[in-house]
Amino acid sequence: MSNRKNPQEQSNARSALRQQQAAQAKGEQRMKLATRIAWITGLLVIALMIGVTVWSVTNSRTVTATPAPGGVVTPRNAAEGGGILVGDTAAPVAVTVYADFMCPYCGQFEQVNGADLAAAVDAGSVKLEMHPMSFLDQQSGGTKFSTRAANAYATVANHDAAIALDFMKILYDNQPEEGSTGLTDTQLADFAKQAGAPADVAASFTKQTFVPWVQQVTENAFASGIESTPTVKVNGVIQTENLLVPGALKAAIDKAANG
Amino acid sequence: MADGPLRRLSTLRQSDGWIYTTMLVSALISLTASFVLSVDAIALAENPNAALACNINAVLSCGTVGVSWQASLFVFPNAFLGLIAEPVVITIAVASLGGVRFPRWFMCSAQVVYTLGLVFAYWLFFQAYFVIGALCPWCLLVTLSTTLVFTSLTHVNIRDGNLYLPPRANRAMQRFVRADLDALVVAIWLMAVVMLVMVKYGPMLV
Repeated sequence: MSNRKNPQEQSNARSALRQQQAAQAKGEQRMKLATRIAWITGLLVIALMIGVTVWSVTNSRTVTATPAPGGVVTPRNAAEGGGILVGDTAAPVAVTVYADFMCPYCGQFEQVNGADLAAAVDAGSVKLEMHPMSFLDQQSGGTKFSTRAANAYATVANHDAAIALDFMKILYDNQPEEGSTGLTDTQLADFAKQAGAPADVAASFTKQTFVPWVQQVTENAFASGIESTPTVKVNGVIQTENLLVPGALKAAIDKAANG
Repeated sequence: MADGPLRRLSTLRQSDGWIYTTMLVSALISLTASFVLSVDAIALAENPNAALACNINAVLSCGTVGVSWQASLFVFPNAFLGLIAEPVVITIAVASLGGVRFPRWFMCSAQVVYTLGLVFAYWLFFQAYFVIGALCPWCLLVTLSTTLVFTSLTHVNIRDGNLYLPPRANRAMQRFVRADLDALVVAIWLMAVVMLVMVKYGPMLV
């Protein structure tokens, strides 16, 4: 074909071809550069993500390991076993409850058994030892609701053990959903006042007085082999039957009182 | 790409052997995890009392994933879907390793169906992560292995032009894959999932 064209057309064709090749080469160079940039950026992103991962794991671990400043302050009515004691110390039946205020099953436990327990405590047949735990802090969107609620409970119980169970009932009646940000400090204070706590006690929750104690209670619970909440012991024996069946706990308590 | 070992690695990665073996291994892992989850689902159905407490220390914490409504979105346990789907992927992978070439429409259909599966897997992952607040280790494994099956399937479908893409898009995607940028995307993707899991649940796992 090309030998039919005159020399001028041939040289035009050649230079056009050269231009095309040059453009193509430039295009390829740009592509190579873009690829290189993509790789470098990508690897940097991966390195960054590795960094974030490592940081978050090591950072969170130290946060839970060191207690809050001020050391451990133990509530006035702490039991030998480590929880908060409510009720007559001479009562024949000892009921120990390990619970987390964010745990929905603990909420159900309270709905089913709360009234029976409170009645038994009032009647003097049961001394209740409550271990408020904070292992579900992870589930409250960073607000550590479990710790705050447990601290609030300890503060109220420390002030007046008689209203502790009322406060606990109110907290479980208004239990926030797992995974939500939990109740605010203001709400905790309001509920405490509802239970009969004076305004200054309710206002002292934010001082976090008993937070190190709550952490200690939680760690001790793990160490002693508690695997789930709610865990309930009657006279030291872990109850294994379905505690969410109404009357089951009451029956166990009655049995322990008479047996 | 630099010559030498990197180039050889790149060529290897584009080969049928590599792609279909990745697909096969990932699908096997997915099938195994689906099997375990299915057995668990049956056990839980027999005895829901097994989930009456918040488990400490297990990442399978409160509100066991297995009894959530999300775990049986279509009335039956989700894991059953894995039992049904992964053997198909395994068959495709094994046959391809044996030299079988499937028609374009076949591979494209597989891509569409598996993409739906991927979307479902990630919907479940984010439900567990944000709503249920608990991660089930086997579920997580399914998320990761499903990702790998998807990416290897997509890789081979792009490489072979199976997706009925317009010519320019097709060429661009093929260049992307030949430059091994898809491997980079997969690495970032998997790392992102790991990072998300560790940031929220690291202290409980470690």
